[in-house]
Amino acid sequence: MNKKRIKVIIAKIGLDGHEMGALLVSRVLADAGMEVIYTGPRQTVPSLVQAALEEDVDVIGLSFLTGSHREHTVKTLQLMKEKGVGLDEVVLVVGGVIPPADVSYLKSLGVDAVFGPGTDTRTITSTILAAVEKKTARHSSLA
Amino acid sequence: MNRRPAVVADTTSIDEAMKRWEETVRAPSLAVRPETRDEFKTLSGQTVKPLYTPLDLDGIDYLRDIGFPGQFPFTRGRTPNGYRSFKWPHDFYSGYGSGESANQRYRELVKHGATVITLALDLPTQIGLDSTDPLAEGEVGKAGVALASLADAERVLDGVDLARTGLGFVANGIGPYALAIALAVAEKRGLDPADLRHFRIQNDPLKEYTGRNTHIFPVPMAVEMATDVVEYINRNFKDKWLWQWVPQYVCSTQMRWGGMNAAQEVGFMLAHFFNYVDSALARGLPIASVVSKMEWHASTDLDLFEEVAKYRAGRRLFARLMKERYQCDDPEVLGLRVSTWTTGDHLTAQQPLNNLARISMSVLAAFLGGAEHIWAPAYDEALALPTSESTRIANQVKYVIHHECGLENTVDPLAGSYYVEKLTCAIEEEAIGWLNEIDRRGGVAAAVDQGFYQREALRGMHRYQMELETGQRKKVGINLFPAGDELPLNLFQVDPQDEQRQIQRVIELKAKRDGRLVQQRLNELAETAARKVADKRVNTVPAMLAAVRAYATVGEIHAVLRQAFGTFKPPVSL
Repeated sequence: MNKKRIKVIIAKIGLDGHEMGALLVSRVLADAGMEVIYTGPRQTVPSLVQAALEEDVDVIGLSFLTGSHREHTVKTLQLMKEKGVGLDEVVLVVGGVIPPADVSYLKSLGVDAVFGPGTDTRTITSTILAAVEKKTARHSSLA
Repeated sequence: MNRRPAVVADTTSIDEAMKRWEETVRAPSLAVRPETRDEFKTLSGQTVKPLYTPLDLDGIDYLRDIGFPGQFPFTRGRTPNGYRSFKWPHDFYSGYGSGESANQRYRELVKHGATVITLALDLPTQIGLDSTDPLAEGEVGKAGVALASLADAERVLDGVDLARTGLGFVANGIGPYALAIALAVAEKRGLDPADLRHFRIQNDPLKEYTGRNTHIFPVPMAVEMATDVVEYINRNFKDKWLWQWVPQYVCSTQMRWGGMNAAQEVGFMLAHFFNYVDSALARGLPIASVVSKMEWHASTDLDLFEEVAKYRAGRRLFARLMKERYQCDDPEVLGLRVSTWTTGDHLTAQQPLNNLARISMSVLAAFLGGAEHIWAPAYDEALALPTSESTRIANQVKYVIHHECGLENTVDPLAGSYYVEKLTCAIEEEAIGWLNEIDRRGGVAAAVDQGFYQREALRGMHRYQMELETGQRKKVGINLFPAGDELPLNLFQVDPQDEQRQIQRVIELKAKRDGRLVQQRLNELAETAARKVADKRVNTVPAMLAAVRAYATVGEIHAVLRQAFGTFKPPVSL
């Protein structure tokens, strides 16, 4: 059993500043006992991945509203791979206004979960907890 | 003449009768049919009583507090005859992709009778970045169309006759640039800029620090840049078509959608409005010509009565405070024009066609509140950028309600409703508190830096979400009849090639324009900006216009300004 507090970074990548969804999820996860870092708006992929590495996070959450989720998620995954932040260890979730057709696309890239508008925050919390547990278990069995 | 006795509020007898009613009628009924919830609240969280009566009007003086439409305190409306003497501007907010695809949609809209086209700009343009900027990657042409230079604007507006079709911009961080673009396009066409049929620019930077985050400069400089636009239009086009132009309007939309309540919307709108007025007055502009063109751009949420009360409270409080703070008696100043973008946040991605009911209800609320311009969102907006069809429907809802539901017949029909009048007073009172809170914190800029707006929005949003999740509040498709399988909608997608095309065009433009002239104009702009740092009243529009005419890009122009003014560092307060 992993007793360590789950550490999450929630990021707004790109130029969009609609941050209430990201702030709300940050607050809910913090209320659920996780350690949450919210980056604030207008982050770049390199700044996020760097922060994720330095903070040694368990979960990366990306929040989008204006339609740039495909590009930014692809770039995030590429850089995570380059920097050795593997999806076998770190949970990657995406939330916001994501058209249904893009949900399966994002999942095919390796995104663990996509949370669209109206998702119950308890679902977000439990999904993240389960994904972290699964990856931790797999990782420790490999080690 | 055989007159029936007037209904007079004899409060003592009503009070007694009501107590009897409570005991002998309501209580027995409740024993059989208990209430379905512990507490009934407005969407903003105000507790609502089961019944309102003339007792709730205690302290309200009809002539002082309600009055007549078109007259102080304007509770019942800015104009005396309401929708009986009213025609809607046929206005669309649209823009996406490369210049060509946006242009195609604008031409379609004009063909279908649009009298005003409001350009949605992409985020890089709104933040003063070129389409070629690495930070812009993935955002070019997404939330709007890219206007990286005058060349883009010429292509985007090609075939749109600006002497016949009005032009609107949602440009808050880049107001002077947007104005310069509009003026330069007009010049290119051989039009006197003053002959533009209509020019309307949001030019409300404070909105960007209090909800939307599309900001560039530190708050005080952003306000001064916005005032440059107001001043330039006032000084240069006086006595021409100025009456048709809107150089600035104050938005509370994003704050509300971000989680603020109805009273906060009113209180913060007033704080921002007064901030702009003070800035314009410091330039020596007459209050009448500034304020009579401005308006309150509000949200209209789904709680019908609360929204109507909010509009009425906003107008009354504005009139009272303008009179008090600026010693002004001019009805053109005191009567607040209200426009609305109804609701952006309470549409659901689940069962999206249900949103048509939500949109209709908020449009109805805007009517009953006396809005003079109503934009409604498209029913598919919680899923993706709207399609051409969903945009058309969004626009036509107001015509259905106007012409088919009896809304045009009489002015302010909910006036005198015990509930609505009481709620109007409650919102007015709470809004004064929020306005004072901003003053107490040292003004809008200080409140932004303290993270105050962000915390308040998060508090409201969290409250609402928890109400949903505990079942205190029901929402169809979310916690009532939650969605099963969805019907596939035909969703809009931006052509992925558009971004590359736009980037290519900016590269080509930079290669073929007169580079020395551009540099010279940018140097002059830098000098102007340096002078503005020393004296905030220096107007940046002339230098901006010269740079735009030379095909300097939005990124080049704002790089110069960032250098001079610095940039805003957003607070993060969880």
